[in-house]
Amino acid sequence: MFLRFAVAAIAALAMPALTLPAFAADQVEKAPPSGAYKKVSTLVKLPDFLPGLGQLYVDPNTLPAGPFLAYDHNGKLVSTVYMLPIEDLSNKDKSFDNLAAPGGKVDHVDVYYNAGHPGVEKPHAHVVLWHVSKADEARVAK
Amino acid sequence: MTPTRRHILRVGGVLLAAPLAARLAGRAWAEDTVEIVMRGNADGSQVWFDPIGILIRPGQSVRWINRDPGNSHTSTAYHPQNSDRPLRIPAGATPWNSDYLLPDESFSVTLTVEGTYDYFCIPHEHAGMVGRIVVGRPGGLGGSTVSSSASQGGEPVPDEALRAFPAVDEILRRGIVRHT
Ligand SMILES: [Cu+2]
Repeated sequence: MFLRFAVAAIAALAMPALTLPAFAADQVEKAPPSGAYKKVSTLVKLPDFLPGLGQLYVDPNTLPAGPFLAYDHNGKLVSTVYMLPIEDLSNKDKSFDNLAAPGGKVDHVDVYYNAGHPGVEKPHAHVVLWHVSKADEARVAK
Repeated sequence: MTPTRRHILRVGGVLLAAPLAARLAGRAWAEDTVEIVMRGNADGSQVWFDPIGILIRPGQSVRWINRDPGNSHTSTAYHPQNSDRPLRIPAGATPWNSDYLLPDESFSVTLTVEGTYDYFCIPHEHAGMVGRIVVGRPGGLGGSTVSSSASQGGEPVPDEALRAFPAVDEILRRGIVRHT
């Protein structure tokens, strides 16, 4: 019930984005990214800057998987994040195919469980493509 | 910073003197408002209420405050008015729903009807983020004990949540049950 409402609310917010050229050459290196991306904290009630992730942008039409683009305090892209519901991952009839990866070079990848948060309520896995070194992850630690 | 939000919701009902009161010397019992914090670990793999179980007097207030810097949480009573969830608060008590609380935001209710109140966090019910409050006596005026996993109608409570509730007996015995 609630989830359906949340999805509807997000869909409504996404409407204006549909009028934008969906495949314009997106600029993603600096926040805010161009194209259909919206700041996650304007779509659902989440802190503007998430410790460990950074400031997130997502095209609402791609929820829940994303990509979510994550920026540091200086607005520099640090990672591309996918949020994959556990129940979808364990469903043999579901897959995540051809997900966009606009951020370019990947330094390393983290995969970990998340219990859920507004926007992606169900327990899910975060798949994080870091565009910076392990040491530079500290830029979004807090 | 976002100013701390504080809602006070007075939940109607008759205030009864609890016979247990004399036997209880718990800290929570003596305070005007008891505080329950909402927490999570750094990567969001675990989220919880602390304490998870608490015994209070009728008329005492409970305040939830979000101390999880990377997430938002709710305190939402199990009640058909909240997303068609089963009734797991006393029959005569008013349900509450804090809506999403951002870090450092808080929400309060005053509970006057005796009985056992179960509540959950909307995005984290499936992660077992639930809590239980006993007001006075667990099966008091409201007539609903909700102490077992039994639930009447509505969207069923997920197993993860049912497993997480502390036992009413333990809450009565210890006064406060911390998250472990
Ligand atoms: Cu929660």
